[in-house]
Amino acid sequence: MFWDWWQSLFADMSSTNFLNFSFLPKYGYAVIQGVEYTLILSVISVLMAVLPALLLATMRLSKNKAVRCISGAYIAAFRSTPILVQLMIIYYGVFSIITVPKFMIFGFIDSTRFIPGVTALALNSSAYVAEIFRAGILAVDSGQMEAARSLGLSHSQSMRLVILPQAVKNVLPALANEVITMVKESSVCMVLGMAEIMFTAQTIGGRTMISVGPYMLSEFIYFVVTYPTSKVIERIERRMRRGDKH
Amino acid sequence: MGTNTDYIIAVDNLVKEYNGGKVTALDHCSLNVKKGQVIAIIGPSGSGKSTMLRSLNLLEEPTSGKIYFNGIDLTSKGVDINKHRQKMGMVFQHFNLFPHKTVLENITMAPVTLKRQTEAESRETAMKLLERVGLLDKANEYPNMLSGGQKQRIAIVRALAMGPEVMLFDEPTSALDPEMVGEVLDVMKELAAEGMTMIVVTHEMGFAREVADEIVFMSEGRIIERGIPKQIFDNPSNERTKNFIDKVL
Ligand SMILES: Nc1ncnc2c1ncn2[C@@H]1O[C@H](COP(=O)(O)OP(=O)(O)OP(=O)(O)O)[C@@H](O)[C@H]1O
Ligand SMILES: [Mg+2]
Repeated sequence: MFWDWWQSLFADMSSTNFLNFSFLPKYGYAVIQGVEYTLILSVISVLMAVLPALLLATMRLSKNKAVRCISGAYIAAFRSTPILVQLMIIYYGVFSIITVPKFMIFGFIDSTRFIPGVTALALNSSAYVAEIFRAGILAVDSGQMEAARSLGLSHSQSMRLVILPQAVKNVLPALANEVITMVKESSVCMVLGMAEIMFTAQTIGGRTMISVGPYMLSEFIYFVVTYPTSKVIERIERRMRRGDKH
Repeated sequence: MGTNTDYIIAVDNLVKEYNGGKVTALDHCSLNVKKGQVIAIIGPSGSGKSTMLRSLNLLEEPTSGKIYFNGIDLTSKGVDINKHRQKMGMVFQHFNLFPHKTVLENITMAPVTLKRQTEAESRETAMKLLERVGLLDKANEYPNMLSGGQKQRIAIVRALAMGPEVMLFDEPTSALDPEMVGEVLDVMKELAAEGMTMIVVTHEMGFAREVADEIVFMSEGRIIERGIPKQIFDNPSNERTKNFIDKVL
């Protein structure tokens, strides 16, 4: 049997060996679920961040100083403090007031942890995505807004029909990078017992007493997910920039 | 002032300051334009020509002074500037076509969005105008497939599609390769001949002399002199005008 052979590879290995992966036959499935959990968590967090971020970015570019300040304060607060602190405050603070009904998402994700976790990550991410949107909007040539306004379109019509469609194109690569960042950052959710990659590694370590191997595997998984993806995004970005020159 | 209704555009003591008054781009400028007139604004770089033109449709908000369009003061509170801008077409030095829309969509977007025409009507108008400027075959191209001269002709069509009463041009040929200047000026000459009211900021002195009814010379934010082309070019009354004319001719 394959797995018997696999385990024999690690027979003489100490539990502190970096490459002790003898836990895989028993816990391989848990690891795969952990990866799925992380990916679902990151993608949903960034998607949920998009609308609030759009609002924050528009506020940030508003003529009204108070509106600009509110958005600026939000962005500064979330970008200048550890995501771990934000997660704790939202979980123990906000979600002690709001009770989340317990159900299973995709059959293996516990809603009572997932929903507070996603909320915290999305609120955090919206601060970063807002800055991405702001940069994307500012990157659109100011002549575009002037041309639209000179035709008699209102500010919001010009935004919707002329500026945002062009900004979206500028913004997509950065948004994809934000998902990659979130894949890494979402590891803080292990402290809430959300069964993503890191929590799974910790659990395996505890059960098998193999201390470092599970974390080495996590390291490897994070790298395999994020590095090639970021390279692909880089390449697409370069091609888009070349396409822009006319 | 009863005069305000005699003119399609009347600018009264317009002042525009930037950076809290450190820069005075327009210094008490007054300018009247009659329906059907073609006015060419000339003057050295930084003299406030663009600021003047862009103030007319309030792309620049005046610091003080009044701008009357068909007798209505555009600077007064409660004026729906979007409504008036529909009647004031503007053409920019760098065309400012919408790169994510086809030529046809560039032209029909505003009339359809603002419910001035149905989609079908607006398409028909666009096609007629495109035919007039000789670009019917470009209707479904994207702007980046066009030459500068073609882009500017499309930009003129885009403004015309709103059925404006006045057309404002800010150095429409300055960004063009020399061999494309003619095709754009030809379209503008045709417009002028049809009786369109036009205000044109330009460095094309030949065009100004030939097409404009009046020349306005600006320097350092002021309107220094105004007159028919013959007088301004051949017999300027102000020393600064004379120096400028000598330099550019
Ligand atoms: N947004 C701005 N902020 C500060 N100063 C400005 C701004 N726009 C224009 N100015 C200043 O106002 C003055 C007039 O500028 P304007 O663009 O109207 O000149 P112009 O006659 O159109 O020049 P050009 O022939 O170079 O286009 C200049 O001194 C310019 O530096
Ligand atoms: Mg100018």
